[in-house]
Amino acid sequence: MSILVCINLIFTICTYAVTLFFLIAIIRAFIDTKNIQEAPVYCMIMIPFILRLLRLK
Amino acid sequence: MDKKKLNAVKAISLAVVVFAMSVAGCLFYEHRNYKEPVVVSEYITEVKKLSDYSDVIKGTVNDCNVYIFDSGIEGGCMLIWGGTHAEEPAGVMAANIFTENLKVTQGKVIIIDRENTSASTNTRVGEAYPRFFTYETDWGTKVWRYGDRHANQLDSWPDPEVYIHYPSGQTLANVDIRNTNRNWPGKADGLLTERTNYAIMQLIDAEGVDMTLDFHEAELEYTVENTIVVHEKGNEVAAMTSMLLTSQTFDVAIGMEFSPVALHGLSHREIGDYSDAASYLVEVAEPMLDRIRGITDEELLMSGKDIFVIKAGEHGLLYAPIDEEGWPIEKRVARHVATATTLMEVNNTVHPDQTILIENIPTYDEMMEEGLGSYFHNPDTAPAERVYYD
Repeated sequence: MSILVCINLIFTICTYAVTLFFLIAIIRAFIDTKNIQEAPVYCMIMIPFILRLLRLK
Repeated sequence: MDKKKLNAVKAISLAVVVFAMSVAGCLFYEHRNYKEPVVVSEYITEVKKLSDYSDVIKGTVNDCNVYIFDSGIEGGCMLIWGGTHAEEPAGVMAANIFTENLKVTQGKVIIIDRENTSASTNTRVGEAYPRFFTYETDWGTKVWRYGDRHANQLDSWPDPEVYIHYPSGQTLANVDIRNTNRNWPGKADGLLTERTNYAIMQLIDAEGVDMTLDFHEAELEYTVENTIVVHEKGNEVAAMTSMLLTSQTFDVAIGMEFSPVALHGLSHREIGDYSDAASYLVEVAEPMLDRIRGITDEELLMSGKDIFVIKAGEHGLLYAPIDEEGWPIEKRVARHVATATTLMEVNNTVHPDQTILIENIPTYDEMMEEGLGSYFHNPDTAPAERVYYD
């Protein structure tokens, strides 16, 4: 495996880890929020993180 | 804030988002996993995988089918492929016409329908591209994936900050690391698209390919349009092909351009430089690719009719003519198929030792008059051993 491919693999794994981290953070924010306008926004911004983790988009 | 009311809003928001995400997810999954059936010609001799020529591509989405038509009689060998850029449907459809009908009586012809399969599972963000394109036949609707010019980020990511082409060292746009027509001759230990092209270079060497042809389409606003781009090894053949097609067959001229020596990564340059083959690339007009286009849908993709592109033409802003007839898919595919067959015929006269004789491929006029439907075959009624999936 070349250095470039190895670096790419490490970055890819890190990306999925970061995606999962932010998704958990958003879910927590969604649960904790008391602002009625923030709740739908948190819901919407979860979408790309979930689709990425499921390798759909 | 009333806690009950807040919880109700959260529940409704979650339900709406889960529903929307499920619908979108299903659509994305279907696009990414749809397999295109191909009923290979009864005269085919062998179907291989690209990984049979090099392990570097094994197990990846770009380990495509390689359709081989070998007459068993000594002659030339031509490799033809579509699907380098998956937003250019005439390429894959023209390749399918060969795969589903070809008979070779001298020499050998090799076809790859999807050179960058990963790109066909992708789309261009913000462009509202359709997921599929279709063509009506006597037996039903034939369906292909509609993609982008770059491999899917799910298969090759991240892109480097600057893409340094191997082996020239030329710097190119970072996103072109996922464009298979920017990383020829490929790299055995590179990223997905580099490995794809490396494997095809191994195929070219192993099969003794004499000439290669890469099918493309281009926006009418682009200068390299309706032309054959050729490595210097093929200048004579391309020039004669251009003259023959322009004078005898096409209503819109096809030009001939020299492959730039200093622009690296393109098939017409690097295959000629790094193998014994003469490399050709052919372009045809596709109004769907123009930035100035109107509604972006399958109708525009297949009919090639767009009032905004026509208006741009009236103002002299285009490099190809367009009128109310547009650039229908029949015309674009017919031009590609006719260019391929004429290149073979002319090469037979220029290099008799590389003679390739073929039958069963429709002429330009036949495709323009009858349409393409009768040249695609029904996978449901075809013998199972002749049905493959790209």
